[in-house]
Amino acid sequence: MNTLDAQTWLDDHGDYLFRVARRQLHSDELAEDAVQETLLAALTAQARYSGDASPRTWLTGILKHKIVDQIRRSVREVEIPRDHEGMEAVDSLFKQDGHWAEPVRPWGDPHSEAELSQLRRTLDLCADRLKPSMAQVFSLREVGGMETEEICKELGITPTNCWVLLHRARLFMRQCLELNGFSKAGAA
Amino acid sequence: MKWMTTCKETTELASRAMDEHLPFADRVALKLHLAMCKNCARFAQQLQEMRLQFRSETVADDDTPGLAQEARQRIANKLQNKPNS
Repeated sequence: MNTLDAQTWLDDHGDYLFRVARRQLHSDELAEDAVQETLLAALTAQARYSGDASPRTWLTGILKHKIVDQIRRSVREVEIPRDHEGMEAVDSLFKQDGHWAEPVRPWGDPHSEAELSQLRRTLDLCADRLKPSMAQVFSLREVGGMETEEICKELGITPTNCWVLLHRARLFMRQCLELNGFSKAGAA
Repeated sequence: MKWMTTCKETTELASRAMDEHLPFADRVALKLHLAMCKNCARFAQQLQEMRLQFRSETVADDDTPGLAQEARQRIANKLQNKPNS
């Protein structure tokens, strides 16, 4: 009966859980692992499932922890750059005197569900293109909602490094969105 | 911290403000700059918008790919083989 339930969860919520995980992990493989670990953990923990929350909410709660675990694990395999990587990319966005090189265009108001889903898709696409070190810090912070202090501790980097990575990641994300056409043309 | 920050410095402050409570002088410098600079004000606003979108619930029926058939099968096998504890 246990495995039967887990199979039902997989059938009913597998795609959903995978999408949630994929958005934060930027990898099909890691997302699949996170979903698998979630269902295995759910199987073990199902006695504690009170039925107050919907199965999806309950599973998503477990998934969140598994995602952070995955990011932690993958961070150990990636060198956190402590040098000036990405510095030039940041410099190129600004003039010598520190002003923006190009005007910052507004995104327009994503009113309709279609526009909103377009924005989200582009955000995901851009996050996938972040350098691994930036992607991890950015995902833990912006998607996972972890505090920077926690992130520094987890990754073994200084707060300054953390802020630098986040600042660069955010500048990159904004730039990427604009390059992908997500700005109101001519509204500068 | 000087009172008049450049746009580049302001993006650093705006980014940090997303993560922690800034010291008073930085907060004033940021506010002052954002009040006068449309570009940086948009940047700061877009950081908020980005966070909002990333933290919003994934839509169940959105059209990004879900689990591939093979992946689904792999997971199903794992679940089958898990010994009941």
